[in-house]
Amino acid sequence: MIEFLAKKLEWLDVNYWFYIFNDLSLFYIIIPFFILELIRYAYLKRLSKDLVLDSIANILTFGGFFLIEIILGILAITKVYYWVYNNISLPHLELNWATIICCVLLADFAYYWEHRTMHRIGIGWATHTVHHSSPHFNMSVAYRFGPLDAIMPIVFSLPIVMLGFDPILVLLSEVFVQVFQTLLHTEIIGKLTKPIEFIFNTPSHHRVHHGSNRQYWDKNYAGILIIWDRMLGTFEPEKEKVVYGISQPINSVNPIVVFFHGISRFVKKLGEIKGFSNKLLAFVKPPDWMPKQ
Amino acid sequence: MKNSTLVFRSLGIIIFLAGLAHLFSFGVEISDDNPVPTQETNSAPVEESEAATPSETPTATSANDPETDFLIDKWQVSYKTEDYNGAIIYDIKKEDKTFNAYLHQYVDQMGYAVNAEGDKVLTVTKFNGRKGKGIYTITYEGKQYEVACKIARVNENTFNLSYDYYGYADVETWKRH
Ligand SMILES: [Zn+2]
Ligand SMILES: [Zn+2]
Repeated sequence: MIEFLAKKLEWLDVNYWFYIFNDLSLFYIIIPFFILELIRYAYLKRLSKDLVLDSIANILTFGGFFLIEIILGILAITKVYYWVYNNISLPHLELNWATIICCVLLADFAYYWEHRTMHRIGIGWATHTVHHSSPHFNMSVAYRFGPLDAIMPIVFSLPIVMLGFDPILVLLSEVFVQVFQTLLHTEIIGKLTKPIEFIFNTPSHHRVHHGSNRQYWDKNYAGILIIWDRMLGTFEPEKEKVVYGISQPINSVNPIVVFFHGISRFVKKLGEIKGFSNKLLAFVKPPDWMPKQ
Repeated sequence: MKNSTLVFRSLGIIIFLAGLAHLFSFGVEISDDNPVPTQETNSAPVEESEAATPSETPTATSANDPETDFLIDKWQVSYKTEDYNGAIIYDIKKEDKTFNAYLHQYVDQMGYAVNAEGDKVLTVTKFNGRKGKGIYTITYEGKQYEVACKIARVNENTFNLSYDYYGYADVETWKRH
């Protein structure tokens, strides 16, 4: 077992496995599943124009996000990541099953904290609110991203690079976590067996995360493992029927409105806040924070 | 939950996972390459006249690997022994995915350099950019021996070559020339 975990692997193979899960899963799981969801909506007579337009808006926000991600990727991944890796990192780790598993788990843990930060600081919520603003819950919602959603992961994954993990492996692991997360955006799957619901993040747990019911706010930040939430006090099981969305709905399927509503609300809030230091504080204070006047 | 609890638990998780990765990356390998000098190399001393061809087929280091290719250069090692007092410059080349070191120049204490005949003295059989092993030809009391050696990267411009041949042990510091 230890021999197996420590056996050196070739980059070519590792890239290939990640490619099968990270890239190809779009075709063999995500799209078929989304079609299944559409059929279910039709069967339940819930397939409305609003739902279709909402789904299209979701895909379009992904386009915007992806464009920003690519620009950042070229700048940050190649420059910053490699600079950190070559200058301020622990000894470089080998590529074997053990390091890959540890890297995915660390990426998952980083995702937890990144996600929690997105919810709990003003500028984070200004972009992440986009993901939560749909009143629906299906696989297309997973692609609903805000304009700055690509930045926070960089900050949180650099420490992993500093621990000696190859930047490319870190990046592939992050995408792996993201793809796993994508698969949770569905109402079709109820609760899974107890051990799975205990260890892993599941559709049920992530429905809670998207709930606008008060007890569901800022809960279940997990990517792959729900145990991070259990250990760090943010777990909430699905009991009451989840009402999806945010506390102040946007009531729009216009992709531009969807994509920028968080930022524009934040800018509006900054305008209402008096004093420069208070304006600065609004970036890092919780989203509902207002200075005492 | 208290912030201090969050910090401690998070650090615990990070240290555990990173530690595990380092253990499997460095720790496991250490136990595997604990030297058993007889199995890996010719155990019998080779006379000076005989060609120093390694018995082990070198395992592949991949072609053009930036992690390991820093070895390709000239390297200087200082010696202060009864046999030789001065420095030797070696030339490491990559040949068919394997790194080989050749004698390049002898430099005496005064700094006078004499070209060497270019004998192959080191074959790196395994190297991951950080640690590795190989077969090294040492000269002792006029005779040449092929011994199993280990190499360990110190930094971009330095690596250590160590061997232990039936109690005759040494660590050489190879510095980029
Ligand atoms: Zn969220
Ligand atoms: Zn989600």
